[in-house]
Amino acid sequence: MVVQPLSKKEVFIILEKMRLLQTVFKFIGDISNMKVLIVEDEDGLRKSIDQYLTAEGNVCDCASTYEAASQKLAIYDYDCILLDLTLPDGEGLELLRNLKKRNKADGVLIISARNSIDQKIEGLSLGADDYLIKPFYLSELNARIMAIVRRRNFNGNDLIHFNEIEINLIAKEIKVKNLPVYFTRKEFDLILYFIANKNKVISRAAAAEHIWGDDADMADSFDFIYTHIKNIRKKLTDAGSKDYFNSVYGVGYKFIDA
Amino acid sequence: MKLFSRYNRLLLIISFSGLLIIGFLFYRTLSYYLNRQIDDDLLEELMEVKEFMHDKNTLPAPNFFEDLIVTYHKVEKASGIKTFSDTIYYNPQKRHQESARYLKTDLTLNGQPYRVLVIASKAEREEQIQSICLIIIIPVTFLLIAILLVNRIMITRLWLPFRQLVKNIKTFNVNDEVPFEPVVTEVQEFSELNEAVVTMSLKVKSDYREIKLFTENASHEMMTPLAVINSKLDTMLQSNILGPEESETLADLYKATSRITKLNQSLLLLVKIDNNLLQEQEEINIKELIEDKLLFFYELISKRNIIINTNLSSSSVFTSRHLVEILVNNLFSNAIRHNYDGGLINVVLSSNDLSFSNTSHNLELDQQKIFERFYKDTTSEGAGLGLSILKQICNRRHFSLKYNYKDDLHIFQISFNSEHNN
Repeated sequence: MVVQPLSKKEVFIILEKMRLLQTVFKFIGDISNMKVLIVEDEDGLRKSIDQYLTAEGNVCDCASTYEAASQKLAIYDYDCILLDLTLPDGEGLELLRNLKKRNKADGVLIISARNSIDQKIEGLSLGADDYLIKPFYLSELNARIMAIVRRRNFNGNDLIHFNEIEINLIAKEIKVKNLPVYFTRKEFDLILYFIANKNKVISRAAAAEHIWGDDADMADSFDFIYTHIKNIRKKLTDAGSKDYFNSVYGVGYKFIDA
Repeated sequence: MKLFSRYNRLLLIISFSGLLIIGFLFYRTLSYYLNRQIDDDLLEELMEVKEFMHDKNTLPAPNFFEDLIVTYHKVEKASGIKTFSDTIYYNPQKRHQESARYLKTDLTLNGQPYRVLVIASKAEREEQIQSICLIIIIPVTFLLIAILLVNRIMITRLWLPFRQLVKNIKTFNVNDEVPFEPVVTEVQEFSELNEAVVTMSLKVKSDYREIKLFTENASHEMMTPLAVINSKLDTMLQSNILGPEESETLADLYKATSRITKLNQSLLLLVKIDNNLLQEQEEINIKELIEDKLLFFYELISKRNIIINTNLSSSSVFTSRHLVEILVNNLFSNAIRHNYDGGLINVVLSSNDLSFSNTSHNLELDQQKIFERFYKDTTSEGAGLGLSILKQICNRRHFSLKYNYKDDLHIFQISFNSEHNN
């Protein structure tokens, strides 16, 4: 029996499939390993997103045109698709329409420079999961992707575990070593935000915007992030948790699992 | 001064002074001719006296002439000069003083010179003149009044299209979808003006639209590069080689990028409000909204030891939630941002009015300027768009917005129902 050597293309396909299988299995064990398609025509932005997400062990595919994106979408399934609405050769919304026509379960996060309510409504009613306006912080993007994937894959399971910390997303409760610890709404959001971006430095600006949204334009709102983090650290360590927060010189904080 | 009253005043001055001058001249001329007539009569009487003297060789008796008084005095020497002049004499028949005219001359009778004075009454003739004058002046005055009245009516009617035009120009708003309403008139000047205004309004509208479009596009185009900058900063932040210096640089870069982003977002928001893009309406409980925002801003207020007093009655307004949220947000951030540590904020909500007052290091602000775009004091960190967004929202929603400075407090007051009051 003569074994035909595999062509390059076949090798590529097999490798790709294996990678897919691998990520699916890995994914069951750990939420942070996701397969993400980045559809964005701005090179710089696409590269940064790719770099940020890949560093956490996620698998990222990139497409800079409508054509490339629709080809990838025809072949693969993704946990989340980051979709820029204005592509050089087509409308991002059209991709979304095709996707939904084929009943694909991929999560979709629209990233757009247009902060238009109509477009937002149109995107969301077409089945997009979220809508993020440029410019955004990568940590915010990451947190949103996590939220989408979590919603889609863990139906009914609203608990997030991080070592001794347990977060109930519905009840908005946090337990440390099975004992509830009271956090304010803003503190709760911050903890969630940091856990979603663990091992990453989150700038104070990003954290402030996460909490106060567009209204984070107060010059001293950064100081409140400091105060909040101080309070969170104290509450967590008082409850017997390790201190996971690391301060990065005046720019931001890092939540490290160490 | 109105064009009409200006014109009227001129007309009045000219016609009345004309009337006066003409009346005076008329009177003088008449008097002159009258005097000449009387003087002729007086000369005739004098001839009669002379004839009498010639015939009878004696002076006629003073009552020899009817309606006439003749007196004689002996004089030293006859001068032979005849003088006419006006005088006043006592009319014995009518028993009162009357204006009169006399002729004075000297005559010689039998070598004895006499001064003869012949006086004739002017009363009747003067009455005649007065009648003549009245007969002429009264109708002329009436005519003048009539002309003025007709003028008034005519001018008001003639200027009607102009008034309408001005009214339409006043109601014209570049922001409205309603085009300028032209005025139909047959008067050429007005229809020319009308055409000019219509052309101008179209030009203004299209220019304004272009500027808005430009602002919108420019701001949008900036968002993608800003997104790249932001993502690169985030990537740099992850590198492990950051020292304190690099971190500080990064922090500054973050701050600057964030400011441009906020500025862009504010500009886009202004365009959106201008374009009436935020139209959805619902019943909004203002009291609840303010209480929510109070929690939202709680840390910012308490950290600076600002005392906040609220007096909120329940109030609801049927309007766009998004806009009211921005409104309340801007009022809060304005009151916090420009306050000093340990200052004061009062929030008062009645069913119809919302007022925010706060202490500040700034003295009274310029009423006209504070709502202008990019107007801000030098210490402000913001873009200077917060208050103009506030103003724009109020304009769009027909809320009235007032700024006052009283007892060291800057007061911003919004009345939600101003359109019903108007």
